[in-house]
Amino acid sequence: MSALQTFMLVVDHDKEEAKRIAEGIAHDLETKKATLIDTVQSLGQYINDEDPILRGKAISYLTAIIQALSPKYLSRQQIQVLTTFFCDRIEDGGAVDGLKTLQGLDRFNKFLATQVAQALFSNFQDLQSRSQTQRFHVYQLLNDLMSNHRGAMRDMGEISLLGVVDIMTGEKDPRNLMIVFSILKVIMVEWDISSHVETLFDSVYNYFPITFRPPPNDPYGITAQDLKGRLQDCISSTRHFAPHAIPALLDKLDSTSPNVKKDALSALIACIHSYDPDTVSRFSITIWEVLKFEILNAQEEFLSETSLEALQAITQRLSEGVTEVSQELPLAKYLQPITKECNEQLQEPQNKQAKPSQSILSCVSAASPVAFILVVQTVVPPIFTLYQEADGIIKQRALLETLSVLFESATSVFGKWTTRGGEAAIENPLLEFKDQFSDLFGQALMGAAKEEVSFRVTALKGFLRLSTLRDFFQENEIGLFVQYLDEILLKEESVGRNDLKKEAIAALAEISKHKPRLIVDITFPAFVATLPEEDEEGSDALYIPTLETLAQISVERDIFETLFRRLFSKLSVLLQKEQPGSVAYPRAILVTLLYVMQQRNMEQDQSVDLYFEKVVVGLCRDVAASASGKAKNRILNDPTVLDTLGRLCNLLVRSVSTQKQEQVAENIYSLFSAAEDFVPIPFTQTTNADQERTIIISTYLLAGLPKDNSNKIPHTNPDMSALLLDLVHRSVSSTEPATHQAYLRHLALLTNKFLSKQDVTIAEKLFDGLLQGQDTESQSLCPATIRTIFWLSKALILRIAPTTTHVLTSLLALLSSPDQQTSATAAQCFSIILGEDDILSATNGATIRLLCRQRLFTTVIPLISSRIREVNIAGTDDSAAAPKAPDHIKPAHLTALAGILSTIPTALVMPELPTLLPLLLQSLDLQTADSVAVRTATLDTLAVIIRDNGVAVIDKCGHVQSLVTRLLKTTATNIGPGAVNSPRLRADALKCLNLLATHQVPGAGANARAPPGISPLLPVKTQVLRSLRAVLDDPKRDVRKAAVDARAAWLRGVDDAPEEEE
Amino acid sequence: MAEMQNSNPTILNAADLPTRLRPTATRKSEYSGIFTSALPLTPVDFESAPSSDSEDDNLLEEPIDEQEIYDLISSISDPEHPISLGELAVVSLPDIAIKPTLPNVPDSPLQTVTVLITPTITHCSLATVIGLGVRVRLEQSLPSRFRMDVRIKEGTHSTGDEVNKQLADKERVAAALENGALMGVIAKMMETCH
Repeated sequence: MSALQTFMLVVDHDKEEAKRIAEGIAHDLETKKATLIDTVQSLGQYINDEDPILRGKAISYLTAIIQALSPKYLSRQQIQVLTTFFCDRIEDGGAVDGLKTLQGLDRFNKFLATQVAQALFSNFQDLQSRSQTQRFHVYQLLNDLMSNHRGAMRDMGEISLLGVVDIMTGEKDPRNLMIVFSILKVIMVEWDISSHVETLFDSVYNYFPITFRPPPNDPYGITAQDLKGRLQDCISSTRHFAPHAIPALLDKLDSTSPNVKKDALSALIACIHSYDPDTVSRFSITIWEVLKFEILNAQEEFLSETSLEALQAITQRLSEGVTEVSQELPLAKYLQPITKECNEQLQEPQNKQAKPSQSILSCVSAASPVAFILVVQTVVPPIFTLYQEADGIIKQRALLETLSVLFESATSVFGKWTTRGGEAAIENPLLEFKDQFSDLFGQALMGAAKEEVSFRVTALKGFLRLSTLRDFFQENEIGLFVQYLDEILLKEESVGRNDLKKEAIAALAEISKHKPRLIVDITFPAFVATLPEEDEEGSDALYIPTLETLAQISVERDIFETLFRRLFSKLSVLLQKEQPGSVAYPRAILVTLLYVMQQRNMEQDQSVDLYFEKVVVGLCRDVAASASGKAKNRILNDPTVLDTLGRLCNLLVRSVSTQKQEQVAENIYSLFSAAEDFVPIPFTQTTNADQERTIIISTYLLAGLPKDNSNKIPHTNPDMSALLLDLVHRSVSSTEPATHQAYLRHLALLTNKFLSKQDVTIAEKLFDGLLQGQDTESQSLCPATIRTIFWLSKALILRIAPTTTHVLTSLLALLSSPDQQTSATAAQCFSIILGEDDILSATNGATIRLLCRQRLFTTVIPLISSRIREVNIAGTDDSAAAPKAPDHIKPAHLTALAGILSTIPTALVMPELPTLLPLLLQSLDLQTADSVAVRTATLDTLAVIIRDNGVAVIDKCGHVQSLVTRLLKTTATNIGPGAVNSPRLRADALKCLNLLATHQVPGAGANARAPPGISPLLPVKTQVLRSLRAVLDDPKRDVRKAAVDARAAWLRGVDDAPEEEE
Repeated sequence: MAEMQNSNPTILNAADLPTRLRPTATRKSEYSGIFTSALPLTPVDFESAPSSDSEDDNLLEEPIDEQEIYDLISSISDPEHPISLGELAVVSLPDIAIKPTLPNVPDSPLQTVTVLITPTITHCSLATVIGLGVRVRLEQSLPSRFRMDVRIKEGTHSTGDEVNKQLADKERVAAALENGALMGVIAKMMETCH
């Protein structure tokens, strides 16, 4: 059998083998074992066969060989012969592919390209009756000719133009259309199409709008958007289409389908961007006339937005190259009807259609400096007149708003003070009205009645825009505005929701970015002057709003330095007074500094060393002096002041150099003071409460240090055991809450962050020692000891110490203590373990292992669950076989569970939901007042579970009915003696009910409709609606509101079966 | 949708609508200014943080008042514009009244809510639909001891009496609510309620 025959046999089912055969022949040809003539001639018996399939296979054989040949093998003459051969048989399978290979060869010439194209056009008149694949190959060949031999194709002129249009007409396959559109686009752009504009336009516009929707699992991955994009490229390709395209697209805006309108608008925008300005100008007014309606009577927000975008695009195109303003400009002629329409609408600026008119003015005026001038010239003067004649403040407000819109455009055209580069060559036309604006807005802001808040806010915002507009106001004019703002903040009473003051602060903060000197020179003196020397007892802390304002406007570096100096000197004065008044004032000063430092990046601040010296070194020394009773007053003995100062020190310690940090490490306990003045805390026997309180500062300093400072900390040689033991004793016995808390955290910090791996056993031994302190008879522990145990556990669990499991089981054992007090205290402490803490935090570099939450959860939940089951069974079992557990054990376990859940992300909870849900439901069964916190935490957890996962997960566990019943019970106000549902609980339960109805589909947002099929909520719908009706009469307003929302959600979201329709 | 009857109504600014002001924290301990972010509270341990609502607050009753009725209905959307009835001034606080239904029986818990509706134009054919929407919203949201009286404000509508008769007629209201298309419109109006 010849190679040809073998090829024809296998080609259908074994492509690899066929390819191998062809490669063999190609190799023979290249090594001169065979000749091309013989190969072609061997086809003889098949190529004239009746059967087109046979013919096709024979041609494919030749094509396959050519494809396998090296690109240089074929001579010019051979290519020519083969091309002619293929062209003659172009309709037979494989010929098109052969030509595709040939045209890619270097020796293929222009003449041959023309020949191939001719052959395609004359033989494929019936292309659309062929299969998609065949058509695809033809288009690919055409596409290759277009890219490799464009000159030849173009020289064919209208022959190729009409030829392409002819064979593609009627094409429907998206994959083919992708190629067709790109071929046509080349013709549109590069051919002389003047005598065939309409034909060519129709050939593509027939496809508009594209309604294709890809089948599911479409292997080609062509989206409707891909097709729309290519089609749009064609429509917008040449200005010659404008007379056809623009009217046709505008017509499509009459469509009722928003999607069609959207496509038409986006094609229109593409045309505007692509056609030349003259063409755009010719149609600009027509386009405006049509788009006007889309904007003024907006059906869908996105349509009016896109229409505005089109108007802006036209404005930009017409502004190209325009540098001088003239009424003869096409731009001016285009803007004229627009500003006229807007001016008319703005006659009644408070009406609904004034808003769209503002948007129109905003988008056209922001397009270019010249457009801005033209708009301002026609729009601003009438607004002044209207304003003077306006009969009400509502109208005036709307006019101020319109001006503000123009100011915003001015900002985008001319920039802000802080904008770099890009100075506009044209003068800002608003300068002409500068004084008028300043008067008008100043008058509106300061002259209006105080209760006209929204009017004044509008004036304020407008004034702010002008103040930040580049090269507009002089310094003194902005200064005037700053004075107005100061006056509002310092002298005026608050009105309503305080909106005006909030805006005034925001405005000062904004100005501080552009003109910091004005803030330092005007606002600072005015504000600092109102700060009192001291806070007299009983005064209303009027300095708080002032400090708040100062804090918010002092984020800029220069201003912050001023703020620091001013406030620090206030504080220093206070510290020297014999009678400094309430400690709330110095504390507020410290909080202000802390707030601003938190907003700024202190590590980058060049003055951080100065702040460190003053605050960390200086004030810590004062604390030490104060603790030894050497201070003028007791400000620095106050725990709340120490706490705030500590936070400030902590932030600064984290921000300074390693050297400085080492200095801090050595001074943690001595607080930078000389030994004779102050006795540091650990290991001293003679301490009083004042001295002990310095541990608060020490703890914050310690927290700010990096881990590797551990060997610099005093009392850590040879190891930390002595220091830790001392701290344990102190925390167990300390009586003052703030000091106690500081000891606990200090202990936890050392254990978690500074204790080396090999020394962890020290802490573990301490833990066991504490547990053995139980009173053997009553098995009770005092609360302080229990808290110490938990904080020590927290430190160990966060770093997942080797004994974590032992620690956790020991903690759980405390819950079953026969001593009610011990059990309850331990239960409440479970939230400590994973609770966020400001000191033992990631920011402070604590060792918090990623898996610690999971570890705790998976260890503890099964144990709690089985313990509760034991208790439940023992409770029902009357026989004396199992001794009945004390009543407090179950609530204690549920409390511990609530504590843990409140500190764990729900994602971790979900896998355990079947175990967990029954426990949560039992928590809701608790009724007493002291279980309110537990129930609140439970409802929070449930709310998150429902919001993230929908009703389905609860339905899967079979608990919908029992959950709903319990939630409804929690919404009731009078439920019997001893039982308490606080308003917060009632509202939370209603929130859960609301979430059930709005989250029937997992992950879906609010208002998601129920999936087809019967909602699992349906069986309880009547029960819920009836119960909620009663809750509508709850004495508390917030609860009623939650009930209204929940009821509406159930009415709307839980679908009845049809026959039960209300 | 059919041609709009009033395509350019006056709109009030949302910030100017009447709202209930939350009592600002007067006590120093309940400071709620910006500095709270600087000083995060210590972690909730159940012992030291007793539940925030004290007994006194819990017992203080807050009766349903006109503002509450206003809040219920002002966020309903107009069927013609996607704008709320409050912003269009179709409902306004002074036009809402709550009175005992039986003034002669001092112990009776029954109360009547009167809501007067001001259509945006005097010949608005949708006034009935708006009235029904307000009525349905109130019926769904108020306890059963309340009676609703929803009417067109005198002199603001050309066929006000006719509309009022329709809104006051229980059976006609009930019949209207059986109408699926009408309920669809009303459900859409209430979607914006918050």
